[in-house]
Amino acid sequence: MTEYFDPKTQGGATSKSRRNFLKTVGASGVAAASTPLWAQTTQARAAETPEGDPVKASAPAPGMSRIQLNVNGVERTVDVAPQMVLLDVLRNELGLTGTKKGCDQGQCGACTVLVNGQAINSCLSLAISHQSDEITTIEGLERDGELHPVQQAFWEHDAFQCGYCTSGQIMSAVAVLNDDRIGQSDAAVREAMSGNICRCGAYKNILAAVQDARKTMKGGV
Amino acid sequence: MSDQTLGAGPKRIDGRLKVTGQAPYAADHALDNTAYGYGVFSTISRGRIVSLELDAARAMPGVIEIFHHGNFPALHHTPSSMAKGNKVEETRLPFEDERIYYDGQFVALVVAERFDQARAAAQAVKVRYEEETPRANLEQGVKAHGTKKGKGNHSRGDADGAFERGTHQIDVTYTTPVETHNPMEMHSTLAHWPDGRLQVFESSQGVVQQKGAMAKIFNLAPHKVEVISTFIGSGFGSKLWMWPHAVAAAAASREIKRPVELVVPRQQMFTTTGHRPETEQTLKLATDDQGRLIALSHHSVSTTSYTDQYVETCGSVTKSLYSCDNVSITHRTTEVNRGTPTSMRAPGAAPGLFALESAIDEMALEAGIDPLTFRLNQFAERDESQDLPFSSNHIKEAAERAAEQFGWHQRNPKVGSMRDGREIVGYGMAACNWEAIKRPCDAHVALRADGTVYASCATQDIGTGTYTIVAQTLVELTGVPFERIEVELGDTSYPKGPISGGSWTTATTLPAIAEATRHAIDELKTRAVRSGGPFEGVDVEALTFDNGVLSFEGKRIPFAEALSTMKLANAEGEAHTEGADTSKYSYRSFGTHFVEVRWDPLLANLRVARVVSAIDVGRVMNEKTARNQVEGAVVMGIGMAMFERTEYDPRTARVVNNNYAEYLVPVHADQPEVDVILLDYPDTAFNEFGARGIGEIGITGLAAAVANAVYHATGVRVRELPITKEALMGAV
Repeated sequence: MTEYFDPKTQGGATSKSRRNFLKTVGASGVAAASTPLWAQTTQARAAETPEGDPVKASAPAPGMSRIQLNVNGVERTVDVAPQMVLLDVLRNELGLTGTKKGCDQGQCGACTVLVNGQAINSCLSLAISHQSDEITTIEGLERDGELHPVQQAFWEHDAFQCGYCTSGQIMSAVAVLNDDRIGQSDAAVREAMSGNICRCGAYKNILAAVQDARKTMKGGV
Repeated sequence: MSDQTLGAGPKRIDGRLKVTGQAPYAADHALDNTAYGYGVFSTISRGRIVSLELDAARAMPGVIEIFHHGNFPALHHTPSSMAKGNKVEETRLPFEDERIYYDGQFVALVVAERFDQARAAAQAVKVRYEEETPRANLEQGVKAHGTKKGKGNHSRGDADGAFERGTHQIDVTYTTPVETHNPMEMHSTLAHWPDGRLQVFESSQGVVQQKGAMAKIFNLAPHKVEVISTFIGSGFGSKLWMWPHAVAAAAASREIKRPVELVVPRQQMFTTTGHRPETEQTLKLATDDQGRLIALSHHSVSTTSYTDQYVETCGSVTKSLYSCDNVSITHRTTEVNRGTPTSMRAPGAAPGLFALESAIDEMALEAGIDPLTFRLNQFAERDESQDLPFSSNHIKEAAERAAEQFGWHQRNPKVGSMRDGREIVGYGMAACNWEAIKRPCDAHVALRADGTVYASCATQDIGTGTYTIVAQTLVELTGVPFERIEVELGDTSYPKGPISGGSWTTATTLPAIAEATRHAIDELKTRAVRSGGPFEGVDVEALTFDNGVLSFEGKRIPFAEALSTMKLANAEGEAHTEGADTSKYSYRSFGTHFVEVRWDPLLANLRVARVVSAIDVGRVMNEKTARNQVEGAVVMGIGMAMFERTEYDPRTARVVNNNYAEYLVPVHADQPEVDVILLDYPDTAFNEFGARGIGEIGITGLAAAVANAVYHATGVRVRELPITKEALMGAV
């Protein structure tokens, strides 16, 4: 049995113990998906992962609300204040620091995650509004050491420099490639990806990576 | 394996960490019991704090402490010496007194249990000020108190006299605005004091300098400070030197005895973490009747703060790019109520080459000569400012190859003559140039008994690919592939390495890594021939090490086996390499940009459609990451040319566009077709690998190439950056 984080015995949700919990989950036996991982952006992860946080015995602290989120296929229970945004909950409460804070005001795209398959800026979204939502972050794309085709293509094409916008770029790219309404031309991809700023200016390589991943995903599904 | 040696283009050794979100940036590090800080920032630009109303904020949930000038611990100033390793750009400490010098200055710091609590409480702090009339811009600064002499001035011959004798003359003034680096990762500090030592996770381009500065400021023995910056969400110069937030976080952590995380909000990235200053540059050029440049003056004024004396050396390239007997370069500054400026990608050269390469274009046209021909005729053959030969200079080839690939020779020189449907096409070109510098560096390398090779150095990988090219150096010298190489950078626990700036990391770090590797191999051999070693009694000179294998007369033993046989964990090498000898050569990198713009007069729409750049930076160490650097610099150059301007209210000196929605930077949709030619001529006079550095040169000259293309398309000579549609409306 996997050793779970226990708020009763560990005395509160410090980042570190949360992170240990995640490491444990990451290292535990995750069954290989029968269909390619990239065929599913948000759905059908729960079956592949252990059950999430245990039921909390105590009531939430005054001013806090208890919500359940399905994050990368894991049921998570977290107490949030009404003003807490999803980005801060992912990073500071759940230890998922792959999602980045670039502006905190919805202008740069570094915090992009998928909510029920839709790409959103997690810095602009109140966590409390996501009860029961399925959330996919950059940490949820890889499976059993196999990178998602978009991740692999970003690496192959050197589609980043500093890497700070990369999580957001990749999450947007996954959403773009799964959205039939968005055209396949270079111009259409550039337009669709324009909410994700890359200050290093690796746009040429990002475009090449997205178009390359499109081919892989077509072949794989 | 050859695809991982120097000069090849292997994908990044740290790439998997970046595409999976596992690369730890400063604020990703988790420490137990971390408290979160949020600043209260001044809403005036000049004056003093009269009072702070803190009661409401103190009563808010989760608030632990509020720091301000009335209760902040007394600290010390750092001497701010780069040579001594303790430089900062803003020498004033946060909360030092009640004075306000600029908009967005720290006036208080709230520390709370959670980030959202700290922010909410910071917004509840009320500050009363006594406001004075600020100097909001360069013009107001000059009017109020004139200018001060700066550094980097140069004179040869008689520029004024020669100008008067000229057949063709240009006397023009260019201006560039404040630009803000805006790296994607906001400045971040996570500080704590385990056992009385200060450990700081920082988004830093210079951990060694920050360590030295922290030791001075907190009066600590240097070994009691550790600064860690394993991954950084880029910096472009803004993270070379520590800013006040880092001191504030470290002090707050010491006071409350808990780790403190402090992230500078995006809005204050425009105020308290540096910027490229505003410049005004007057260029006076003259040619004789043959079109030879006989006079070249470049006089600039840049803004600086009231607390420090940063100088933007706009004429740094003008000294040596063109052959000219009569040259005058001056830099002056004027103080304004803005935060302290700092180096931004290609400081001096980026705004300076906008002016110079625009003026050269104007001069060529005035003399009736094609701008490319004009340049080819007068690029300097040697560095006339230092009277030294260039170590390696292929600018003419760069110009000719880029021109050929771009199709410059198909250009109709007549203004507005090239049309494609509704759009008017303009072609422009400009030279680019940047200095090559090699600094002292230390490094450590170990050949380990498990068959891996390990290297460490305190220098950082800021996205340029330093982890990867260090690994390539190890592959080159040991034959061990990436899969068995470990590189650690960005921590002051490692041997001293340079700041990641000035485009000098590659030229500085790789020779030290290589020397340490050779020392490790020597150590391995020395051990192997000793009593009990696998090559006992063999002359150490006769023992060879090749592709990870020791061999002598047919006996071959891999180094891991040799170490295991000897019961040794590793064979280590340390190295210290010196800076470049600058007495014999002038070391510089060269290149040219060719730009196609398209102007749609019907919609008043201007865009850069195509860029061809040829760059001569010595040997290219990693084809993939090097190309990426130039392509990215071209994108930033497009931002500089067409979008970027930090705007200050002339009445209040407050930044009015302090966010990504109003301070425009290029996005995906702005990306033109970009082709980069890397000339790849090793500069072995400079260092053993012949690499000069590639991070900055790509932005230099790009804005001028755009401006020159805009002139060709529209007939409007824009001498003020950024080039806006409004400036071109007259051409409709």
